[in-house]
Amino acid sequence: MSDQDISLIAHLMRRAGFGAPLEELQARAAKGYDATVDELLDPESQPPMERDIMMRYKVDWLSQAGLEGQQEEWTYRMINSKRPLQEKIALFWHCVLVTGHAKCEYPKQQALELDMFRTVGMGSFHELLNGLAKDPAMVFYLDNCMSHAGAINENWGRELLELFSLGVGMDGDFNYSEDDVKAAARAFTGWTVTNSIPRYPYGKYDAKFMFDPRDHDTGEKTFLGETGNFNGQDIVDIIVKQPATARFVARHLYNFFVADEPQVPAWKDTPPNDAAAIKELEDEYFRSNYNISSMLNVLFKSDWFKAAKFAKVKSPAETVVGTLKLVGDFKFPRPGLDMMTMNIRFMGQDLLNPPTVEGWHTGREWIDSGTLVERINFTADQVGNVNHSGVKNIINRVGSLGPVLTADQLVDGCLENLGAYQISDVTRTQLVELAAAEGEIRTDSEGFPLRVATMLQSIVATTEYLFA
Amino acid sequence: MTTEISHINVQYSKTIGRGEQFGPGFNYPVFVARGKDDIMYVLCRGTEFRPEGVRVTVCTTEEEYITTFARGVNYQGPHEFNMDDGSLVWPTSIALDSHENLFISDEWLNRISSFSKDGDFLGKWEERSGTGDGELDRPSGMAFDADDNLYIVDSGNHRVQKFNKDGKFLMKFGEYGSGDGQFDMPWGITIDSHGDIFIADWRNDRIQKFSPDGTFLMKFGESGSGEGQFNRPTGVAVDRDGVIYVADWLNDRLQIFDENGNFVGLKTGEAGISKWAKDKLDANAEMWEERRRAQGLEREKDFWGPTGVTVDDQGRIFVPESARNRIQVYQTQSSTFAGPRL
Repeated sequence: MSDQDISLIAHLMRRAGFGAPLEELQARAAKGYDATVDELLDPESQPPMERDIMMRYKVDWLSQAGLEGQQEEWTYRMINSKRPLQEKIALFWHCVLVTGHAKCEYPKQQALELDMFRTVGMGSFHELLNGLAKDPAMVFYLDNCMSHAGAINENWGRELLELFSLGVGMDGDFNYSEDDVKAAARAFTGWTVTNSIPRYPYGKYDAKFMFDPRDHDTGEKTFLGETGNFNGQDIVDIIVKQPATARFVARHLYNFFVADEPQVPAWKDTPPNDAAAIKELEDEYFRSNYNISSMLNVLFKSDWFKAAKFAKVKSPAETVVGTLKLVGDFKFPRPGLDMMTMNIRFMGQDLLNPPTVEGWHTGREWIDSGTLVERINFTADQVGNVNHSGVKNIINRVGSLGPVLTADQLVDGCLENLGAYQISDVTRTQLVELAAAEGEIRTDSEGFPLRVATMLQSIVATTEYLFA
Repeated sequence: MTTEISHINVQYSKTIGRGEQFGPGFNYPVFVARGKDDIMYVLCRGTEFRPEGVRVTVCTTEEEYITTFARGVNYQGPHEFNMDDGSLVWPTSIALDSHENLFISDEWLNRISSFSKDGDFLGKWEERSGTGDGELDRPSGMAFDADDNLYIVDSGNHRVQKFNKDGKFLMKFGEYGSGDGQFDMPWGITIDSHGDIFIADWRNDRIQKFSPDGTFLMKFGESGSGEGQFNRPTGVAVDRDGVIYVADWLNDRLQIFDENGNFVGLKTGEAGISKWAKDKLDANAEMWEERRRAQGLEREKDFWGPTGVTVDDQGRIFVPESARNRIQVYQTQSSTFAGPRL
């Protein structure tokens, strides 16, 4: 297996998962790139999370009654799932089809929503939108339970079009009108949730979606050029067949999995960075009858994906989860994960609690002077901890390169173990100088583990390591 | 068709508790120990991000709040835990010795701490993480025998160990596996009036019974959701008549078996408004109105993740539900006919 194979698999696993230690990359490279993609796209072929063990030790993960516990559990899943793309697609949809804890009647509803993203998120976008429209977390978050026949609340109808399917516009034109928003809102009247049981004294209970025909606007509506006595289902049926929806889904997939795109508000007037790639994804959207897995298959096996190494700034979740996965911490439930999970929040991504219905801006907007310091401090702390099993493995592997290493060998060995990272010549020269400055690098010396750890810390502090 | 008439009759009695971080109430209760008179010690597991919820709540079966002790304490970092005397991180169970001192297992610290019934810290066994004789890996259920020897379910080592009250290792039995006398992450334990030991063999979805010296006697149960089947049983208790009660965790129910392990019946929950719950609702009167409007309120009766079961000498069965911050209490009915003369 060539270094190229490892490098490509490392790229795939950073995007379709949360990275992987070198031994996993080698095993996957031996299996082959396309076979790895096929496995990732077939999560059911891998074992599920052992939730019984998770809930035995983390008792609050059964009730999922609080934000912190949910963030912690999701982080644990992202670190340990044998179905990494299933967790990644859940993160993807959470960043697009947004609900937030700040306006959530019962936190567990968001956990149930994530389960829907896991199970439906790689299937039909048509089915996913239908599920979303009936998702109690969403119905409450965007006030559809407050939208009544004769007194509509447009919140859900508007965001469904603007942020969840069509987008404001494309190629310089608007995708829908204000009348379409009103028609959608009218069609979804009566789509509500059951009255909830109060929190005290025994905690909340799952809400249920319900359709109240007495509160449904049965009048004629005109929506995106079609006229009829539409209900919410009809609206979704019309939405998914729009070219704008294909563009919207394609650009989001590209932005999340391939390379940073302009932010969503600019999409009406700013063309995609790679129009040909987006066109391929749009075509697959229609060819596959709106199937997300089929689009991802095209995406991951394309030349433009393979050429897009380090073309994305890692999100805070990717940074924290990828680091913890690399260093081998929290493979089994234990205390302390809540504090680790907080780092995702400190870096600017309060999972399950995004700032607005638009979610988070991505790319370089993840980085500012504060979040940069959080990022570097966190990653440096982790890779510099020689007690972590993953760091020990790296030290042993680098140490096996020979009794005495050159500075180049130390730098290259560490880069490979961090996921075949590629860095600029300038950065590389600085790292080699740093490695050489401490004198001879004997792998049997007492100080060798610390020299490896120090080099790992130096690498994760580089600009290049901000990218995936 | 024959009709079998069982002499075992278990009825719902009442509900105790409510969710509270402080004072009267519970925070993820995982175990109930019954003291003398009407005292009960409720072990609250709490959460790591609100460690003040980790504690023992002491109250009566009539919901008279008495005190709280053994509070969880914040730790300094993800790998630095508070090891101070009396602190708890992941408490799992309480065993009462003959003087009603409390021994509490902590499956993260691998530590056994003891407290007086008033909550005074008495001591702790020396640190003993490991796999050797007398060493522990995630201790869970515990029970004293009539001689004040302590049996500890050493869950991570898939075995049961016996100690004297001072922590001296006496014997062990069990190993990893699914055969007779083997365990897969066992959890709860109880000792019946004959000194026989019952273990909730958690990941094998069964109950095993042993003699006091660890000889395998019998087993019952298998994976599933049917009658007599289990989905990760957490706790087991035996009453004075030999009736066996099992907290069937992920099936959300309490199952009842005769002394031979034959299925007798099950309870899926009948919770009502406890005294403390009523106090809370009265103080937040709008919630009474919310309850009136609520749809699906009947779900409030159901068990959700029963994490243990304790039987007292009055035939009362206490089932803590960590996810609901309450304890459902059932009562065994006497099999002796006590009606008027015909």
